[in-house]
Amino acid sequence: MLEIKNLHASVDGGREILKGVSLTVRAGEVHAIMGPNGSGKSTLAGILAGRDGYDITRGSVIYDGRDLLAMSPEDRARAGIFLAFQYPVEIPGVNNMYFLRVALNAGRKARGEPELDAGQFLKTVRNKLKLLEIDDDLLQRGVNVGFSGGEKKRNEIFQMAMLEPRLAILDETDSGLDIDALRVVANGINRLRAPNRAIVMITHYQRLLDHVAPDFVHVLSEGRIVRSGDKSLAAELEKTGYAGVGV
Amino acid sequence: MAVKTEAAPYLDVFRPNAGEPAWLRDARAKARDAFVARGFPSRRDEAWRFTNLRPLADKPFEPGHGKLELKPGSLPKGAWFASMARTLIEKPEIARRAIGESDLAGGQPFASLNAAMFADGFVLALDEGVTLDPPVEIVHSAGDGSINLRNLIVLAPSSRATIVERYCGEGAYWTNTVTTVSVGAGASLTHVKVQDEGPEAIHFGMVRAALEPAATYRNFGLTLGANLSRQDVQVAHGIGSIVDLAGAYLQRGDQDTTNAVVVDHAAPGATTRELFKGVLDKRSHGAFLGTIRVREGAQKTDAKQTSRALLLSDRASVDTKPELEILADDVKCAHGAAVGDLDKDTLFYLRARGIGIDEARRMLIEAFVLEAFETVEQPELRGHLAARVRVWLEAA
Repeated sequence: MLEIKNLHASVDGGREILKGVSLTVRAGEVHAIMGPNGSGKSTLAGILAGRDGYDITRGSVIYDGRDLLAMSPEDRARAGIFLAFQYPVEIPGVNNMYFLRVALNAGRKARGEPELDAGQFLKTVRNKLKLLEIDDDLLQRGVNVGFSGGEKKRNEIFQMAMLEPRLAILDETDSGLDIDALRVVANGINRLRAPNRAIVMITHYQRLLDHVAPDFVHVLSEGRIVRSGDKSLAAELEKTGYAGVGV
Repeated sequence: MAVKTEAAPYLDVFRPNAGEPAWLRDARAKARDAFVARGFPSRRDEAWRFTNLRPLADKPFEPGHGKLELKPGSLPKGAWFASMARTLIEKPEIARRAIGESDLAGGQPFASLNAAMFADGFVLALDEGVTLDPPVEIVHSAGDGSINLRNLIVLAPSSRATIVERYCGEGAYWTNTVTTVSVGAGASLTHVKVQDEGPEAIHFGMVRAALEPAATYRNFGLTLGANLSRQDVQVAHGIGSIVDLAGAYLQRGDQDTTNAVVVDHAAPGATTRELFKGVLDKRSHGAFLGTIRVREGAQKTDAKQTSRALLLSDRASVDTKPELEILADDVKCAHGAAVGDLDKDTLFYLRARGIGIDEARRMLIEAFVLEAFETVEQPELRGHLAARVRVWLEAA
């Protein structure tokens, strides 16, 4: 589904952050990318979603046979890529429900599916809301406006549930969550695991992985994947720290 | 009498109307004299330094025509809503209040010109305790030439009303309106204006409002049309009165608009909220001038002014000039101004959810603009303003 080959990237005109990342993700798999601060985790997530401000100097990213890096952010999203933001943006004046409906229908339209009317949309919302234990009234506000840190993260996973992506990239989704919120969010992610969907979790800590068991764990350090393994690698990291695995 | 060059063409067409009452003929003559002696404001005049009057000075307008339509809905007893022409005949004692000292003094040349020349306008007057619901509406569509409209809104104590003015038209013309507003003790007026004039038009609007104790005056302006436009709102507070002034201006091409508001706190305990939002595309220009004057003795004044503008093009520009003159010591006054483009991170967030860049920009601009109308109480009126904004955005 996703094939990253020898990806080199720097911040616009600045220093190199990714120094040859290669990674293959197949449908149905859950990958965890771990690494210390500054290792390039969020840069990788941003590049996959199409955030600007990066120079790709070498390498390629192929998604479903297409050159991902040549696609606009909206085309990537419509093709099934979803980024759960580390810092979800507050958008005063743009109603959550309206935003979600426009987003959902943009994707449906691009795939040649009929757009959902208000009634159908509302029904879908009700079903997915339960999954994330989100209050109805949060949806009537501006996007993320007045949400607590935990509510913002839950809203990201709720959006993921609504948009049903094929490849979800979760950037530090566990950061800033208390234990109850972490359980709810992890629960939501687990419910969204599916044979036709891949999930890439980017995280600094092991704790999300206690709730969502990955198939593969990669350690990113100084812009390279220095180790890959199964979920036991995460446990090892927890015990020895990044230094213990040679980072 | 010395006559300024740019004023001369308007003097030539001035014709006293023998059928009018003596007080009006007298006022018109004084206002005319004040205008021709003063001429147009110059750019050295602080309040006019951002408004380019060149097109108007170069090409004087003949007296023109427009169609004034009043939509009263169902008027309760104690409400008068009629044209100025009719009011002058049937209720001259009310109509008289439409002209004030400042029209005759010449400090506001276009108001003086208006007093000398106006043929019509609208009048809304409510007796004590009368509530007008739903809103009354005025639509003016201009045809050609210069059109001077003299409007009057008088709310007796404890009355309430919402009034919506809309200006439109086709061709090259100049609409010049002056509206005198008086809000009685404990009365409440919501005053909405949509300026949607044709692309070659010039539009000037002047509102002078006087508030009695505990009165509420909310003024919402949406500026979309005209090649050159200017909206002046001048408010004099009463004790403990409340003023909410909000405006949004959306301009493109080579449109130029100015919002100039002056709020005078001479009485204690009054509150002012100002929020102006500008969206400027292509080569358009916008200006916001906001004066808040807090006189000695106007203690416990609470005033806040905010002006924000989005520049959507490198060639668009905005001038902002806040001015707080505070002579009382126990007051709360704040102002803030910001100019920028749409937030990149927010735009990316929307795009990362599959929303195309044009749609994403429209959503964000609309949200930015509509903040100015959040305090409009009637949801259908808010919806109407939002719809006008959307039409503008989709015409890009």
